[in-house]
Amino acid sequence: MSDAVTLSLAEPPTHTLIADCIAADRFGELDAKAIAHLPVVHGGRPATLGEFFKVRGGPSSVVRMEGDLARVAAIGAGMAGGELTIDGSVGRDLGLAMSGGRIDVRGDAGDNVGGARPGAARGMTGGEIIVRGSVGDEAGARMRRGTIAVTGDGGRGTGVGMIAGTVVVFGTAGPGAGRFLKRGSIVALGPIDRPATFRYACTYRPPHVGLLLRYLRDRAGVPVADRYVAGKYERHSGDLAELGKGEILRWVGE
Amino acid sequence: MRVNGVTIADTFAEAFTMRVARIVITGRTAKWAWEAGLKLTGFATSVIGCKCEAGIERELTPAETPDGRPGISVLFFTMDKESLPQQLIVRLGQTVLTCPTTACFDGLPLAPDRLAVGKALRVFGDGFQASKVIGGKRYWRLPVMEGEFLIEETFGMLKGVGGGNFLILAEDADAALAAAEAAVNAMTSLPGVILPFPGGVVRSGSKVGSKRYKNMVATTNDPFDPTLRAITQSQLAAGVNSVLEIVLDGTDAPSIAAAMRAGIPAACRPGVNAITAANFGGKLGPHHFHLRKIMSEGGV
Repeated sequence: MSDAVTLSLAEPPTHTLIADCIAADRFGELDAKAIAHLPVVHGGRPATLGEFFKVRGGPSSVVRMEGDLARVAAIGAGMAGGELTIDGSVGRDLGLAMSGGRIDVRGDAGDNVGGARPGAARGMTGGEIIVRGSVGDEAGARMRRGTIAVTGDGGRGTGVGMIAGTVVVFGTAGPGAGRFLKRGSIVALGPIDRPATFRYACTYRPPHVGLLLRYLRDRAGVPVADRYVAGKYERHSGDLAELGKGEILRWVGE
Repeated sequence: MRVNGVTIADTFAEAFTMRVARIVITGRTAKWAWEAGLKLTGFATSVIGCKCEAGIERELTPAETPDGRPGISVLFFTMDKESLPQQLIVRLGQTVLTCPTTACFDGLPLAPDRLAVGKALRVFGDGFQASKVIGGKRYWRLPVMEGEFLIEETFGMLKGVGGGNFLILAEDADAALAAAEAAVNAMTSLPGVILPFPGGVVRSGSKVGSKRYKNMVATTNDPFDPTLRAITQSQLAAGVNSVLEIVLDGTDAPSIAAAMRAGIPAACRPGVNAITAANFGGKLGPHHFHLRKIMSEGGV
């Protein structure tokens, strides 16, 4: 048992590399050799993880990935625990349907962060995804539980169809954020294009937002200014075309 | 043994195993956290009549609280594990939920026994409540007229110790009170300990049962009542004209011993004849705090 498993990108993929075998909790039971033999799909053809990554350490549920992984998709899919830190940008489907643990990306992420598998009713059901950059479209789509924090901008349809959970966007949330949201919270620290099916409720200091932002700052090292932690937020209830028990919380000042 | 010329009796305080929870209350200002804490711990001096014992352990700085606001920690004791959640649900619901700006957190996160207090209080939200999981803990958001009340779903419960005590035997009531106040000052805000009685002091120490009334579970401690010296089997030496008691509840026995070690020397002032303790012969409570042993370990 080592302190951490490190995956360094040795052979950059020339096509999309679907690496849904990468999950911190699974690596807790595998040594470096077994990890290198895990199956991936490269450009539609089967391959192994070891053909693209140099694997060091293991078994450990603390995983670190290095390199430009913008073409690597489905990292952390179905992850149920552990910590996965990625130094670089990643492709689409990060944390797809994950249920626990923490994924921390020091870069941008593609579409469908924490989202659902094709045809599935629910996206992520637990855990935390932190993206220290921007994300593509539909981050948190249909998520059931858990937290997604994006320090950059959100794409189109952030949190679309959310069942519960929390998505925090520090930058600009894309158009259509929160559409078809049943429960759950979209916390917008920057501009957000609020759907017409959300209705303004009040301006207040939501205690759970301060608690969450302090947690992200103190425990995950996400830089969060005090003005957001102790700030006032507009509460917009919605999506009133759905259950209407969700909310968009838009920061409006201290 | 004598401390500052005051006799330390060769006896022990007898204490009981209780169940304890630590409640962290925060507010917009320290004032509002205190307001909630004072109401929460009101009428919680003794399990004899109040069914629980509670007190404010200490004030917390914003850096010590989960939400970064000023707060207090409260220790809450009952005799059994069934009544602790019952008391907390009723009292938190009527005192902390109602108090402006407050939020309520568990102060014993590592305790394996969990009490679903916030989960029970959530129904005040009448279906409009919502939960959030932050850092692996679930919190409930209850909509209230002011805005929102946030409370942790579960609170930890530990076995604690209740009924640590010592008695201050003084030549008059003024000396007894001054000594008691000095002792309370020395023990206030020590970790893991509360003094559940008014100002931390008891003037009406009790004995088990009654000599005359069958339905009374506790009555006046006549062997220590100076006004009854001539007509009871008094345990008071000549010159003792007033007695006050300090009662301590703690999260564990070492916390109580440490507090007694701080409080007893402070009580050894001019006008105080002796320090002793209440016990039942060692037959009722498993925790025995021997005064001289405690003081010896303190290096006095």
